[in-house]
Amino acid sequence: MRNSPFFHFLTLEFFKERKKHIGVIAISLVILFLLSSVLFISSSIRYSLEQTLEQEPDFVVQRTQGGERVSVPIEWTDGLLEIHGISSVTPRVYGRYFFKSKEDSFLVVGVDFMDEQSHKALRTIMDETDLKQFLKGENMLVGEGVSRYLKAHFYPKGYTFLTPKGAFKKVHLFKVLPKESNLIANDMIIVPIELAQEILGMSEEEVSDIAFNVPNDDEWENVEDKISSFHYDLRVVTKNDIKKAYENLYNYKGGIFLILFLITMVTFVLILYQRYSMVYSSERRHIGLLRALGWSINDVLKLKFFETMMVVVMAYVLGVALAYFYVFVLGAPLLREIFLGGVNLHNSITLVPILDFGILSSIFLIYAVPFVSAVLIPVWKIAVTDPKEAML
Amino acid sequence: MIDDVMIIIENLNKHFRSGDALSKVLKDINLEIRAGECIVLKGVSGSGKTTLLSIMAGLDRPSSGKVLVEGESISKLPDLHISHFRAQKIGMIFQHFNLFDHLTAAENVMIPLIPAGLSMDEVNQKVQKSLKLANISHKTQSTAGRLSGGEKQRVAIARALVSDPAIILCDEPTANLDRDNSLKFIDILGQLHDMGKTIVVATHDPLFDSLPFVSRIIPMEDGSLVSTVPNDTLAES
Repeated sequence: MRNSPFFHFLTLEFFKERKKHIGVIAISLVILFLLSSVLFISSSIRYSLEQTLEQEPDFVVQRTQGGERVSVPIEWTDGLLEIHGISSVTPRVYGRYFFKSKEDSFLVVGVDFMDEQSHKALRTIMDETDLKQFLKGENMLVGEGVSRYLKAHFYPKGYTFLTPKGAFKKVHLFKVLPKESNLIANDMIIVPIELAQEILGMSEEEVSDIAFNVPNDDEWENVEDKISSFHYDLRVVTKNDIKKAYENLYNYKGGIFLILFLITMVTFVLILYQRYSMVYSSERRHIGLLRALGWSINDVLKLKFFETMMVVVMAYVLGVALAYFYVFVLGAPLLREIFLGGVNLHNSITLVPILDFGILSSIFLIYAVPFVSAVLIPVWKIAVTDPKEAML
Repeated sequence: MIDDVMIIIENLNKHFRSGDALSKVLKDINLEIRAGECIVLKGVSGSGKTTLLSIMAGLDRPSSGKVLVEGESISKLPDLHISHFRAQKIGMIFQHFNLFDHLTAAENVMIPLIPAGLSMDEVNQKVQKSLKLANISHKTQSTAGRLSGGEKQRVAIARALVSDPAIILCDEPTANLDRDNSLKFIDILGQLHDMGKTIVVATHDPLFDSLPFVSRIIPMEDGSLVSTVPNDTLAES
């Protein structure tokens, strides 16, 4: 390749006319950086979600009255246990506890620590917790966001909850949950199930919902039908429903960015198209002259294709590398707030580096195809006209 | 060699349509140019000499009639063949030199050789030889944009010669040169004639009226060849 006059001329043209390319590379870099950052963040969140939801139960039974969720009577558990194919039936207690300002809230989760199945979902985030010690007093495990919030409000060691019945309940902060669990546990407070019922104003006969598993995937539909007819105000939520709900939340945010990206990309492509079409006569003269000097249409297209590909590859490598650094090393400041905002406590999750070929090739195609087309179509249109006309 | 016909132009017409109006630029041109001949197309601006030259070079297509070069009609050749024809057979020198200002003299000269599939060494050898022939080898590494008009013209000549074409076509070659540089250009043209190149010059410059190596001066007027005047007759008058 080094001994090829074509590639020699290509590099000459590219570097000697670098001023012409710098602007295009700079705009491309910004577009690619934004696009890659958005895709990196959303894929990283999706990965974390999948990892987290892996631990979730297959089904959750809730109760609705007048469209609102209400507590579920604990005796429904017995009914569920009678259905063939169901395992690990676990009543769960959780709900939001509003801090005194009423602006911020925690998710209080009650766990039956005596039942191994009941805290299976939380096993990964509670791995190193000494349960014996934890159950000795009225203790709580809190997410990182809760811990930070309590410290900022001068409650570094614990918090006194005000129950709906007007009683105060002092709970000691036993441990902060690991950072890796922040995507779901950032604003979470884990307490024994009885304590959660007290804080949330539930009786001992009430729970928030009942979770269970159906090991045979083929039975999911049957089980769902059976349980739905079990009680008129009963609602069944599957693991897939939860997954979809989370994905919709993050996809909608990513979607806004993709629309913005598309608008920017269309504008950029139009500028490029204009640049290489009749509006800019220097490009026309350039192409016409090459044709006059014996270059065929294919030779001209080949030169412009490689020239454009050099711009595309340069901008792509730099844009993706910068986005990777921004998202996975710097933690995507500003953008993460947009993606993870909406939860009431500041979330400091670590974005897990995910680089799959699908994402990288999508970024390349979304960017390169319109870019190369915007250059080559007008170049081809000029190249097929008579050189004399193009040189005018 | 003089007796071999290099270019035959038969019943050539060129017209442009602008709305309903039809503008006839070339009208029924018939001309034969022998190999090794140097002919001058003379005429005022708009007489059609540049268009005729462009059609001979394969840069433009006639509306009717045909151009045969070495017996082959170039008027309807497909792109790949006409490009090959331009690269191999034609050396074109333009009025405004048409150099790539950001490239050096040597880089400009190499452009016609790039699609030829030669190695870099072969290209460099041909470029150096051509620059030497055009007497501009001392400016090999100078950027074209920084050269004087005369130097640019010599780089354009080197570029036209680099493929060793049989035909050299010059469009108003001295229009942007002072008298000294015009005479230098004519001197190089004389050398090319001695090398056996077929030369066609489109000009209105009187310097070309009495050159010893010009075999014919063909006046053009309003898109037509007025008459073919042998150079010795013109010089005598």
